Amino acid sequence: MSEYLIRKAVASDIPFLADVVIASEKAMSDRLSFTTLFNKTEEEAKELIIQMFEEEVDGCELSLSSFIVTEFEGKPISGSGAWIEGFKGNMPSGILKSNLISYTFGKESIGYLKTKSNIVKDVMIEREPMTLQLEYFHIKNEHLGKGLDAALMDKIEENALAQYPELKKVQCQIFKNSVFSIKILLRHGFKIVKSYKSDNDDIFDYLPFNEKLLMEKILKTD
Amino acid sequence: MNRSLVTEKLTAIFRTVFNDEGIELRDDLTANEVANWDSLTHMLMIGEVEKEFSIKFKLKELGKLEDVKSLIDLIEHKMNS
Repeated sequence: MSEYLIRKAVASDIPFLADVVIASEKAMSDRLSFTTLFNKTEEEAKELIIQMFEEEVDGCELSLSSFIVTEFEGKPISGSGAWIEGFKGNMPSGILKSNLISYTFGKESIGYLKTKSNIVKDVMIEREPMTLQLEYFHIKNEHLGKGLDAALMDKIEENALAQYPELKKVQCQIFKNSVFSIKILLRHGFKIVKSYKSDNDDIFDYLPFNEKLLMEKILKTD
Repeated sequence: MNRSLVTEKLTAIFRTVFNDEGIELRDDLTANEVANWDSLTHMLMIGEVEKEFSIKFKLKELGKLEDVKSLIDLIEHKMNS
């Protein structure tokens, strides 16, 4: 592990973080919601994700301040996002993310989303205030199986507890087909607490899967 | 466009986007009080408001919206500037 450096993300990591978002969003499928729901190509979506990170809005999954990265030989090889929902009076992260998307993607894309919103609404999960929300977790393939996932999880919790010592719970929303990530979360003490499933088969044209899980870990208190 | 007309048009948008014909707008109404106001419908609402009033919000402006009053104030301000 000593060859790895885990640190907070900085502006120069943003293009890499856009790749992390894209890889995580696809969740073992070829469907990226930033393209399928907004009628954009993957190249356009990546550019827009970069723009959203550059706005530096804190408190959601598209906030630079939410991310830590791992460096190996001077290059980022993993990215993980986490934030405390509604911390320090922040708006709900869903609204912050929606504002970013509305502003960045523009009217035509939002108009396109309007025609698809009914298909995806059943797997939308609101986030619980003052819990640590884990979203986007990606390690490059060649660095898997080296204990990095556990080190990153520990670091994420440590950072959050330093910010908010009364933190009680970590939550993660994850598509059910992300079997590898689910296994990592279970190994790290998470439990599946709820499932959100859509019966609309069209969802497979837009999202990685038709079922999303809410996973949760209760933090130990002394 | 006067404030009551802005409110009238905004009410129609809210009723459609949030799928609730009973919504009555009041100054201190917030997202927490509207059943279907989530991240998805928030995006659709912002899109409909921009289209209806032919305006474009800045990100900083969206970040300051706290309730319906602040939204109506912002729409009025943008339409009159």
